[in-house]
Amino acid sequence: MKLIWKLLRKHISASQLIGFSIANLVGLTIVILAVQFYEDVKPVFNDEESFISKDYLVITRNVTGVGAMLGNSGEFGDADIADIEAQPWCRKVGRFANSEYSIYATIGLTGDRAMRTQFFFESIPGDFIDVNDAEWGFNPARPEIPVIVSRDYISLYNFGFAATQGLPQLSESMMGKIPLSFTLTGKGLNEVLPGRIVGFSNRLNTVIVPEEFMQWANERYGTGMKQQPLRLIVEVNSPGDIKIENYMKDHHYDVAGDKMSSSKANYFLTLIIGIVVVVGIIISLLSFFVLMLSIYLLLQKNTRKLQDLLLLGYSPAEVSKPYINMVIVINASVLLLSLVIMLLGRNYYMGMLSVFGTGGAGIWVSLIVGVVIMGLITTGNVIAIKRKIASLWRNS
Amino acid sequence: MLPAVFAGREDTGSEVWLRSVTFERGRNYLITAESGTGKSSLCSYIYGYRNDFSGALLHDGRDVNTLSVAEWCEARRRHIAYLPQELRLFPELTAMENILLKNQLTGFKTQAQIMQLLEELGIPEKADSPVARLSIGQQQRVAIVRTLCQPADFILLDEPVSHLDETNNRIVARLVTEEAQRQGASIIATSVGNNVLINVDEELKL
Repeated sequence: MKLIWKLLRKHISASQLIGFSIANLVGLTIVILAVQFYEDVKPVFNDEESFISKDYLVITRNVTGVGAMLGNSGEFGDADIADIEAQPWCRKVGRFANSEYSIYATIGLTGDRAMRTQFFFESIPGDFIDVNDAEWGFNPARPEIPVIVSRDYISLYNFGFAATQGLPQLSESMMGKIPLSFTLTGKGLNEVLPGRIVGFSNRLNTVIVPEEFMQWANERYGTGMKQQPLRLIVEVNSPGDIKIENYMKDHHYDVAGDKMSSSKANYFLTLIIGIVVVVGIIISLLSFFVLMLSIYLLLQKNTRKLQDLLLLGYSPAEVSKPYINMVIVINASVLLLSLVIMLLGRNYYMGMLSVFGTGGAGIWVSLIVGVVIMGLITTGNVIAIKRKIASLWRNS
Repeated sequence: MLPAVFAGREDTGSEVWLRSVTFERGRNYLITAESGTGKSSLCSYIYGYRNDFSGALLHDGRDVNTLSVAEWCEARRRHIAYLPQELRLFPELTAMENILLKNQLTGFKTQAQIMQLLEELGIPEKADSPVARLSIGQQQRVAIVRTLCQPADFILLDEPVSHLDETNNRIVARLVTEEAQRQGASIIATSVGNNVLINVDEELKL
């Protein structure tokens, strides 16, 4: 085979092959990087989260200026709740309970560096929250308060506060590690309890603590004045049901965590990624034709040699092999290199994405896309080489 | 059979065209021809790289047009050794590399045996020279050695000694005859003038 290669490598144009490789590298990298980016970013736009199921709606009463002046405080009365429970689409209703005492949260280390702010807690029945029991619960003997915080608070800090104050942006995992304590005041007590952020939620636009803690704390520090809930969490059969929407509209209830904006963003993301992928594929396709042209030219220039080899008794497959191997080596290198560039690029943008709390998706999808595209290109090249050499057989 | 370019001719005066001719293993043939009578065409039909003829050509009773690519490759490696008139050497490879290119395919001779043949033909020192730098006579000898590097039932030589002097003509005739006898093969040689010094059993005028 060494002799055949020595013979057939003549007229191989390095510049043409480099041209093809660069073009294909650019095309393929664009495609797989776009696919990978889409995969990594998608979770940011999805409202799915582990704490509460999609079938739960958080509703509030729509408070208008007039309503507020008339003394309509936005509370849900027992009759309202009973009415919701009676609806055919409703499975169960949970009430949000509020803290009835004063809370100060201390974030960060104690001392000057700490951030202190007035705070509040809400709780919902435990069966609406899907968190590991070991993490979610409260033991008065070893009091520590687990909280689920709205993801909006991080955004508010990262993109509103930190960005303008020159403070570092924080990722969710970093937030979870920040020391947190709560000072609870009431009934003549003033106690400091440690806290721990268990997770972040897109749809619970509040600070949620376990119901057991809420009951314990309200008894210990509370004023004893029972409030009607300002929010309800409702488990429904199908969240997209038009009857629910109409019911909410008729009763002037708002459903929290409206998905409209994120689904729009998701739509545009898909659209833009789609355009980028198409551009990448076009570049790859053009580079494919460059390689085809280069191979045809090469075979054309070496026609006489190829024919002579066939005359010696070499089979068309043996004669094609050096060129096929060449194509496979080039294409495999381009694939590998573009995967490396994709991973480097991913590494770069994941740093920026970490503030959204996404750990990224696996690289399988982009890997498969890359292998499939390269597989198709290589197959096309191999078929072309074989056909061209087969055509030389009869005319040798 | 008749080459397509001669189509329509009724009497070519040939002992091959428009006649039924059989080449048998073990017998040697000389086909004499004037220039342009289709001598190389006949070789290319037998060797299977052209089929622009009418009539039928059979290999062991099989129509050559029904042979597959694999069967032709096998025939070229194991059954028909062919020396083309235009030699078809690769000028950028050395004499030895040209010969090895065939021998690698057949594994028929050792490198020492190849050197021996080159020595007998008086060009051992040319083994490592690129063919492009050899004279046409030297190239012809390299091509002959290459032709002998395979098992064969027929050794098909298209003007094998057109560029050789009397001495080398004799050496070539001896080497080819010895190889043919060793294998029980047949020699089919063509010549425009009757200067091939191979003993033949039958002479056909094309």
